Amino acid sequence: MTFFKKPRKLLEQKNTSNEDKIQESSPSSQTDSVNTSHSLQDANSKQNQSIDDLLKDIEKSFSSSEDLMTHWIEMPADKSRVALIFLNSIIDKQKLQDLILNPLFELDKDIDLHTFEKVINIDFKQQTDFSKIQELILQSYTLIFTKDTTCYYSVFTPVKTERDIKEPDNEAVIRGSHEGFIESMSTNIALIRKRLKSPKLVVKYLQVGKETHTNVAMLYMSDIANPDVLHEVERRIKAIEADSVMTPGNIEESIEDKTFSLFPQTLSTERPDRVAANLMEGRVALLYDSSPTVNLAPVNFFVFYQTPDDYNKRWMLGSFYRMIRLFSFYIAIGLPAFYIAIVSFHFEVIPSALILLMKSSLENIPYPPLFEALVMELTIELIREAAIRLPTRIGSTIAIVGGLVIGDAVVKAGLISNLMIIVVATTAIAAYTVPSNEMSLAVRLLRFPFMVAAATFGFLGIVFGLILMFFHLCRLYSFGTPYFAPLAPFKIGDLKDTIIRLPFFKMNSRPSDITPIKKDEDNHTRKWDKS
Amino acid sequence: MNNSHTITHRQLFFIIVQSQIGVGVLSLPYTLFAKAKTDGWMSLLLAGLFIQISILAIWKLCEMYPKQTIFDFMPKIVGTKLGVILNTLFVLHLFSVCVVLLILYNSIVSKWIFFQTPRLVVISILAFTCVYCITCTAREIARFLMLVSPLLLVLFIFVAYAYTDVHLLYAFPVGATGIKTILSGSTDALISLLGFDTALVFLAYTQGKSNSKLKVISYASLCVTLFYCFVTFTTYIFFNPVEIVIVPEPVLYMLKAFSFKILERTDLIFLSIWIVFVTTSLISYLFFTAKGVQSLFKLKHHKTAAPYVGVICALIASIPASKIDVQLWSKLIGMSALCCSALFPIFLLLIAVIRKKKEKGAVST
Repeated sequence: MTFFKKPRKLLEQKNTSNEDKIQESSPSSQTDSVNTSHSLQDANSKQNQSIDDLLKDIEKSFSSSEDLMTHWIEMPADKSRVALIFLNSIIDKQKLQDLILNPLFELDKDIDLHTFEKVINIDFKQQTDFSKIQELILQSYTLIFTKDTTCYYSVFTPVKTERDIKEPDNEAVIRGSHEGFIESMSTNIALIRKRLKSPKLVVKYLQVGKETHTNVAMLYMSDIANPDVLHEVERRIKAIEADSVMTPGNIEESIEDKTFSLFPQTLSTERPDRVAANLMEGRVALLYDSSPTVNLAPVNFFVFYQTPDDYNKRWMLGSFYRMIRLFSFYIAIGLPAFYIAIVSFHFEVIPSALILLMKSSLENIPYPPLFEALVMELTIELIREAAIRLPTRIGSTIAIVGGLVIGDAVVKAGLISNLMIIVVATTAIAAYTVPSNEMSLAVRLLRFPFMVAAATFGFLGIVFGLILMFFHLCRLYSFGTPYFAPLAPFKIGDLKDTIIRLPFFKMNSRPSDITPIKKDEDNHTRKWDKS
Repeated sequence: MNNSHTITHRQLFFIIVQSQIGVGVLSLPYTLFAKAKTDGWMSLLLAGLFIQISILAIWKLCEMYPKQTIFDFMPKIVGTKLGVILNTLFVLHLFSVCVVLLILYNSIVSKWIFFQTPRLVVISILAFTCVYCITCTAREIARFLMLVSPLLLVLFIFVAYAYTDVHLLYAFPVGATGIKTILSGSTDALISLLGFDTALVFLAYTQGKSNSKLKVISYASLCVTLFYCFVTFTTYIFFNPVEIVIVPEPVLYMLKAFSFKILERTDLIFLSIWIVFVTTSLISYLFFTAKGVQSLFKLKHHKTAAPYVGVICALIASIPASKIDVQLWSKLIGMSALCCSALFPIFLLLIAVIRKKKEKGAVST
């Protein structure tokens, strides 16, 4: 924003078409796409009220909230009075001074009330829609009323309350960008635009929450994303009817296909590079007001196992660690169950050399294996939950007390076998290898039904559990696209960035499960090698 | 028919394969041996040839009435009233197939894994799983059946491991039992190859050219026949002819003998994988049954029928208590299934063709 002390020379007359262009490019144009709620009744009848009456009405509509401020200024030219009205708590007073008061007082005597907007700044707009007053004030605008009661003026004067751009703690990478989203939507969009300098990146603003007026921005690549998917996402967001939509979780839950499923159906991330890469595959990104979380849809199961790190490694290493992560999925849900099944039903499966070892470890344990496992798993969850809530300095203490002391003592006391400690610890570590927090939580919860199934039916229980889980994955959809693609339905071409990661010059088509309209991806990065 | 319910050729192939490979694979070599001795594998190949005729009939029927299941076109062929009766009988036959699948699954599980667990419990967990699985469209079922198909490779490798210790001489002399016994053995083989009849419902959902559909089903049946033949032949050259008579599940006994450094009882792992195949065959048969019940009671969606079908099958399947009962039930239902699944489509096709000709004749005169 530029500030100036001296007013520019006045233009002759107001040129409306010019004015419109300025409005479009300004960030405040987001309000245009929003449906206003007519909370000031009989908006149009207000048009011819006197200023005093109008201000009184506004004050009343805000229930005489004390941070609603009204300032009266007398114009030097014709001694007419001008009223400024704004919410004290959400505007930047310095900006108000610089953008409105200073220019106003430095105006020449020949300034006309109807044209003074020209000298101020780009965010300055003439408004005629009196039903929007409330909404504009709530969005950090300062409104200016003059004696001309057919219109008023608005200036965008938001207070800046942003933190610095930092790497998100739960999605850290070794190599690659260390930028993360923050609580400001416009900064977040800027971070994405910085990576995708393409005119085809489209931003669409929506608003949800009748009282909270939460802004949601929908980002997509117009030449890649499928219009059907876009339409579906937009339709679902617009269908949200709620007083308050506070967190991304609210919206996520309202728009996902199946709420009664453990598996997350949108990918939340705080990494701009991850969003940019997914936008290029044809996904839609949803950004929210005052939230660093961005949701990506539609997703499939394997997206949750990709991390930006994979693409900064050599491709074989990237594939190896991708496979390790997918393998950890099975360990995390199945290892305790498998162990329980073996020790309580199928001792015969273990080779004879191991039997004595296991027997000696298990012999003096008073509890059944299921109980042992449940106790230890719940303890680990307890430690995890406590570590999140505690300040970081105490957190490490908890890890030591919980992990080492409890683990050691429990074995020494003869309550839990040391094999069970190994199993539980491995499982806990495996669950943390998932790059997405939501999927990690889902996996952690899934292991409990598997443990119970294994304790009641042994291998049979595990097999039926797996059948149910995989069938559930097969019939799950994310915005109409199959969730377990490319394994079900099977598409061999799409495996290149799921279970393994092939080198870039092999990735010449986008994954087909998100049905992008532009299938080909130009990744011919090694053309020099052809000759 | 909704466009989003269709399945592809590849999916049809795996549906047929998964429906055909089921409970039978474990005890097939034993039952064949009881009739045709070491020439059992030839009976199997013959049976594979026979079912090709049924497959042709099924395919022709579905070609004449495209995008319709057997329950839709049955009244059109034999008339509305008779159609309803035949549909009811066919649904009963499907019920009986589901029941016999559950019974045989229970008899193996109670023999090998759970000796004490009540029948109803063992049967219920399978029935419950399958009921959950069939409450969706054919497309999702097809996706799942395709997803678990790589497990077939694991089965194959397990069985192939037996070739470290086989004696080819056991299989000789080839054809010593005579053609008659080989032929009579093939009826038993036919029963274990049943499952291709699910095409009667899944063909209605399949997209694409009619000729390639026939190819797909035939290939599927060929693959299953060869796989069964491979399993049977392997057990015949692994055990000597005197041993097989005393091992009712030769495949499991064979695997039980193998032990690796990290795995002692291979047969338990094999059984766990085998259960997946039992589930998949039951899924496609239960889906077939639920579709039948849907059309009988004119339900909006087969979802509503699914739980009832599952519960009824589970209850009936837990009736037979002794081994003799199980044998009797499986024999009776096996024979009736043979008639309904393999022979009935051929008769139906004959009637349909005659009827069409008559209609043509009536039009021309």
